[in-house]
Amino acid sequence: MSAKKEALVLLLAGGVGSRLNILVQSRAKPAVPFAGHYRIIDFSLSNVMASGLTKVGVLTQYKPLSLMRHLGMGEAWDFTGRSRGLKILPPHTGFQDSDWYKGTADAVRQNIDFLEKNPADEVVLLSGDHIYNMDFHAMIEYHRFKKADVTIGMMVVPISEIYQFGAGVIDDQNRIIDWEEKPEHPKTNLASMGIYVFDYKYLLDSLYKDKAEVDFGMHILPRAIDNDNVFAYPFYGYWRDVGTIQSYWEANMDVIRRDSGISPAEWGIRTNIEADGRPADRPPARFGDDAKVSCSMISAGCVVRGTVINSVLAPGVVVEEGAVVRDSILFADCTVGKNSSVDLTICDKRVRISGDSVVGAGNNHDVANIQQPSHLYTGISLVGKEAMVPSGVTIGRNCIVGSHTKEAAFSTKKIADGETL
Amino acid sequence: MLKPSTLAMILAGSRVDNLNVLTYYRPKSAVPFGGFARVIDFALSNLLHSGIEQVAILSQYRSYSLINHIGTGAAWDMIGRNRGVSILPPFKDNSDNLEHADWYRGSADAVYKNLDFVEYNKPEEILILSGDHIYKMDYQDIINYHHQKDADLTIAFVQVDKAKAHRFGIAAIDSEDGETGGRVTGYWEKPEAPESDWASLTVLIFKPEVLYQALKENQQTDSFEFGRDIIPRLMAQGKKVYGYKYLGYWGYTGTTEEYWQASMDLLGKNPPIDMEAWGLRTNMEHRGICDAQPALIRENATVHNSLVYNGCIVEGTVKNSILFPGVHVEKDAVIENSVLFFNNHVGENCKFNKVITDVNSVFGKGVCVGPELTEEAKDVTLIGWNNHIPDKMRIAEGATVYPNITVEQWASVKSVETGEVLK
Repeated sequence: MSAKKEALVLLLAGGVGSRLNILVQSRAKPAVPFAGHYRIIDFSLSNVMASGLTKVGVLTQYKPLSLMRHLGMGEAWDFTGRSRGLKILPPHTGFQDSDWYKGTADAVRQNIDFLEKNPADEVVLLSGDHIYNMDFHAMIEYHRFKKADVTIGMMVVPISEIYQFGAGVIDDQNRIIDWEEKPEHPKTNLASMGIYVFDYKYLLDSLYKDKAEVDFGMHILPRAIDNDNVFAYPFYGYWRDVGTIQSYWEANMDVIRRDSGISPAEWGIRTNIEADGRPADRPPARFGDDAKVSCSMISAGCVVRGTVINSVLAPGVVVEEGAVVRDSILFADCTVGKNSSVDLTICDKRVRISGDSVVGAGNNHDVANIQQPSHLYTGISLVGKEAMVPSGVTIGRNCIVGSHTKEAAFSTKKIADGETL
Repeated sequence: MLKPSTLAMILAGSRVDNLNVLTYYRPKSAVPFGGFARVIDFALSNLLHSGIEQVAILSQYRSYSLINHIGTGAAWDMIGRNRGVSILPPFKDNSDNLEHADWYRGSADAVYKNLDFVEYNKPEEILILSGDHIYKMDYQDIINYHHQKDADLTIAFVQVDKAKAHRFGIAAIDSEDGETGGRVTGYWEKPEAPESDWASLTVLIFKPEVLYQALKENQQTDSFEFGRDIIPRLMAQGKKVYGYKYLGYWGYTGTTEEYWQASMDLLGKNPPIDMEAWGLRTNMEHRGICDAQPALIRENATVHNSLVYNGCIVEGTVKNSILFPGVHVEKDAVIENSVLFFNNHVGENCKFNKVITDVNSVFGKGVCVGPELTEEAKDVTLIGWNNHIPDKMRIAEGATVYPNITVEQWASVKSVETGEVLK
């Protein structure tokens, strides 16, 4: 990477995202598949690319393998070239610190040499966890116009949801005058989107100041708001955190719904088409003589001989004759056998559902999962990576079938609502 | 890693007149096929799976699309220390060297003009292929047979309908090795009255010295084709020419009807062409198809017995058809028995029956192309690229619409009649 002065991007991609349950059992949240062949992090990376920014550091920590394979050298987002680059920044040992990242600011601090080697006027700090389309170039211009030390991307959210976010109170110049991190009793409905533009020098000074400040939202921002120039950059478009099973499912459904405000194609979202050592490229999706498909997204390599309604199918999904998939999200290379039905379910990669089974049965959508009632309570069932569901099984609502579950693990033909296998 | 011993040379320069408007702007090998790929991908994928990693492509006719498609060769794993794809276009030499001051005068001339490249690679055998055919072959099998017979030339043959045999290079093969092949006892290029039904696939394995010699001798003549000149020359000289019998599917797409038929062979319950099983690879960067969003099938859509790639939006009905990336079929439009190349936009209430449309055309509302949907179409109706077809236009069966017809000209067209060519 050259010394050309262009805003440097740091993408925080270490988050566990534990509320996504078994979907993050073997991968970090930014690497969770989304809308067919994309992954969540593609949205942030494509925004960076479309904003003309070409120097990116990706801070990883939790289960980074899947993410690193996906990022490669960054070719998919045009980050390769003499003055361009995408660098993975994993946790590492140093002179004294031999610790994992203790927080977002600590993670950046531990990579301060990367910052110093890439001088810039601004640093754009992003999370790799969100689904949105935003022009960071415009935000940087705004930041310069305001002569801000820090500019925070913010949007209005329902007051009932503000407890999940950093919240800011602004004056009539959009200056942030008060800050609450995940407030129980919020004073405002203006939420931080986890998108920051820092003055380069200001960020370095802040990081050097006090090593006990390990988190941006908890420590660095409140101090900056009290003492320096922090502005809100208002955002009005589609933005989702997809941090819960319910919000993840809804955002996928938004992709297939008309006029929902999200369109990977129109947003120019790019992904790294997985080769994964496959001998062949994924051929076009094949539709059988009796296929019935409506309101759905169907990726290359799918074979649909049955019925698919209101669902999102990742590459290589096979839906056999007589099978019905409805309101569901199927990750790559899942198979739904003859006359089986899959309803309101998220299946991770390579799930195999044999014939004559029902996943997502009955009407007890409100019987929450017994082990994880805060994760599954709206009726969505989860089937983990490479799980095998034998023939003739009925699985209820809010159920979890763990990753790699073998057919033999099904001791009964019925998994009741809220059960976990 | 061992230095590769086989040099493959793909003949990809030809236009093939019978493909009509599909080859006005690209060589036949770069014609789209299979809903996302190009014809040459079949030969390239065969090479990949055969472990042949030294490849040269001889191109001459409108090479841009082909060069773009090959890219670095990375799509077929052909980059590395001892791996590579070289594109060999025609070139000028010193002006007093007359034999080089010309376009490629034929396939054999093209190889002859690049003999220094060939000899530099010191191949143990030279594999000459056509980039125009749809088939799956492990070239190591025929190379092994070639060595086993210590042949000067080994040619792959496939059995064809005898009524069509006059269009191909035809050989009589003796029964030396039964099912595998045998000595070629007679060879006729496009014979009027074929004596055999074994047709050349244009897969030729040469002993390098034999090829060099034949190409040099051939320069003294005025015809420079492998099929017409080189093979008969070696036969006449009594060289050891063997035939290897290929028993799999062979898609010969020399006419639009054949192209359409080969496309239909991608469909059905057990399609003769299985791109996944064949390990077909293409350059996903070409036309940015790797960036295309998965297909959206809208609420009242019907899609039966069809292939639909990423980037498509289907709101109408698609049956027995192939949609390349970026095709949009609006509501109440019906597409049957058709092949729609990249980025065609089909307006509401359009009706297509046995149509091939090249890239980037926009069909207004209620355009009918081909015969009524209730009738069985005999002839393909062809639409060249970059047309903007006005609402309610009727383009009858077997018509051909040239590429880039201006909006002004379309405004004066009432309809395009059966078999008419609109230029």
